[in-house]
Amino acid sequence: MIEANKLTKTFRDRKRGLVRAVDRVSFTCHPGQIFGLLGANGAGKTTTLRMLGTLLEPTLGSATVAGFDVAKRPEDVRRSIGFLSNGTALYGRLTAREMLEYFGRLNGIHGAALQTRVDELVENLEIGEFQKGRCDKLSTGQKQRVSIARSIIHRPPVMIFDEPTTGLDVMTSQTIMRFIEQCRDEGLTVVFSTHIMSEVERLCDEVAIVHHGKIATEGTVSEIKTQTGEDVLENAFLKIVHQLEAEAAQQIHNS
Amino acid sequence: MPSLTKVIFLKELRETLRDKRVILGVVVSPLLLTPALMGAVMFFASKKAVEQQTATLEVGIYQEAAFPELTDYIEKNEGLTVSPFDTREAAIEAIQTFQTRAVIAIPLEARITFQANGSAPIEIIYDQANENSGNAHNRLQGILREFNQEQTKLRLISSNLDESFIKPTEIKSTSIAENSAVVGFVLSMFLPYIVIMGAAFGGLNTAFDLCAGEKERGTMETLLVSPASRYEIVKGKLYTIFIVSLISAICSILGILIAMAFGDQIIQTIFGESMSISYLNLLALVIIVVPLALLSSAALLIVSTFARNPKEAQAYIFPFIAIFLFPAALSFVLGAESPIYTALIPVLNIAISMKQLLGNAFDLSYFSIALATSLAYAWLTIRLVSHLFQRETILFRS
Repeated sequence: MIEANKLTKTFRDRKRGLVRAVDRVSFTCHPGQIFGLLGANGAGKTTTLRMLGTLLEPTLGSATVAGFDVAKRPEDVRRSIGFLSNGTALYGRLTAREMLEYFGRLNGIHGAALQTRVDELVENLEIGEFQKGRCDKLSTGQKQRVSIARSIIHRPPVMIFDEPTTGLDVMTSQTIMRFIEQCRDEGLTVVFSTHIMSEVERLCDEVAIVHHGKIATEGTVSEIKTQTGEDVLENAFLKIVHQLEAEAAQQIHNS
Repeated sequence: MPSLTKVIFLKELRETLRDKRVILGVVVSPLLLTPALMGAVMFFASKKAVEQQTATLEVGIYQEAAFPELTDYIEKNEGLTVSPFDTREAAIEAIQTFQTRAVIAIPLEARITFQANGSAPIEIIYDQANENSGNAHNRLQGILREFNQEQTKLRLISSNLDESFIKPTEIKSTSIAENSAVVGFVLSMFLPYIVIMGAAFGGLNTAFDLCAGEKERGTMETLLVSPASRYEIVKGKLYTIFIVSLISAICSILGILIAMAFGDQIIQTIFGESMSISYLNLLALVIIVVPLALLSSAALLIVSTFARNPKEAQAYIFPFIAIFLFPAALSFVLGAESPIYTALIPVLNIAISMKQLLGNAFDLSYFSIALATSLAYAWLTIRLVSHLFQRETILFRS
């Protein structure tokens, strides 16, 4: 389970001064559920996920991942999550199998247990044919399969996906989406960021629309459509964003 | 070594050893290219030295009839081909057009002055900007010196005086250094520079690949989200760069030794003695290189941690180069017996320690202080890189 409670991240920018990249973001994601963070580029999705993954420390607020506080028990949090972003993030000079073995060892799996787990993933994700090939020689689809295997080598109860299909072709995107669905079906807690509406409609049990670091609205896809009176999620998203922009402009005008 | 640091270190080392650029720069280049280049330089240097001593040079004499004793003496020299010149302008033109290398100009009254036991004024016209002309000038000076000695002797005999009359003292210099020590001294002039460059720049590609490269490829985020702590990650990476830098420095030393071994004949031609380094000195050289490799590895990792990608890291490399290059270059100028405070100056202290080891001027106090302070500087730099690695504003700089 993931519980984010008023998560806030500020940083200092030379031109813009103090910037609030994430502003009091709260949500809960249960096992067997996919929670989506939907927003434009720079909305604060990646920063939120990086705080959940303990890559960034929250300025304010708190979050627990698999029962561990991200600020107090970061190493336990990292042991409990699988992280997949839009790049395949593989080491070019390692073979596919060596890549999996490396991340297995980093997660404390050694010896026969490691080989058994790697064999299992190689079979399930059909990596066998190219497991001894160097990662920099693999096709994008093959790389993506190795990347997926790398993220679940330690059987994490929580999966974090940061815009995992950005820049991928349709076939590879389908592989990723099927994998996300599979994670949910296996009872994992899944949090997923994207700006692609069709993915949200297909995958997310609940979605939060993020704009300028804040959660603008939260609910199921049909709840958001009902709330905005739109039939298409894209229109609903744009309506919410435009409304927020108008409110912000009015506030500036009033002050 | 804690287990996760070891896992990271072994993986980084494996990847590094598969990087052809690293193998080429760290092992192949110092062990093959350096000896080949040094061999070529030594070969041409010795060839030039032999040529300078034995080659027949074309020289000229302006107004040769004015001083036949001197003209005959010069023309008898087998190493010279002598041409007469009628005018000074023709002589200068011949030098400028490389037809002759240098010309002896004899004034018309030279012989009268010489016969009156005076000093006949002789001029050597040459082109200082031309190396061959300079060599001819040196050769002519030597011949004139010999002529002077001979004539002085004759004048003393005719005056019933002994040679010692004009030589109140007989000076003899005795060097207690063995020829091998002289070779060591020559080696100490440039070996520290090459070894420091090897240690400082050997790990450059690896360092940039291991941090700035990982940021660019997106693998850094994946690694940071693994259970390994940032301290374990930075240590794993640092050890890898250190090993590469150390191998690079050792290969630089071996490369020079290989060049010396293969160029033994040439060294004997130049110095009259073979070169040798004792195993103890070699061990001391390797020991003193360890803190240098640690320091440069940590410094390179700082640059790589700060940069967003390898290209940006390349742009930040100039201050790093200055920090290592300047003291290394300074060691050319400073002698082995430098003041003790130089043992506190990073990089320079290591260069001078190496000079002492190679030039038979080993000073245990200096060596110990240099070793201790270098280790301290390396430790401080490692602390700094560990600190930077904890800072998300540095690690996720955008």
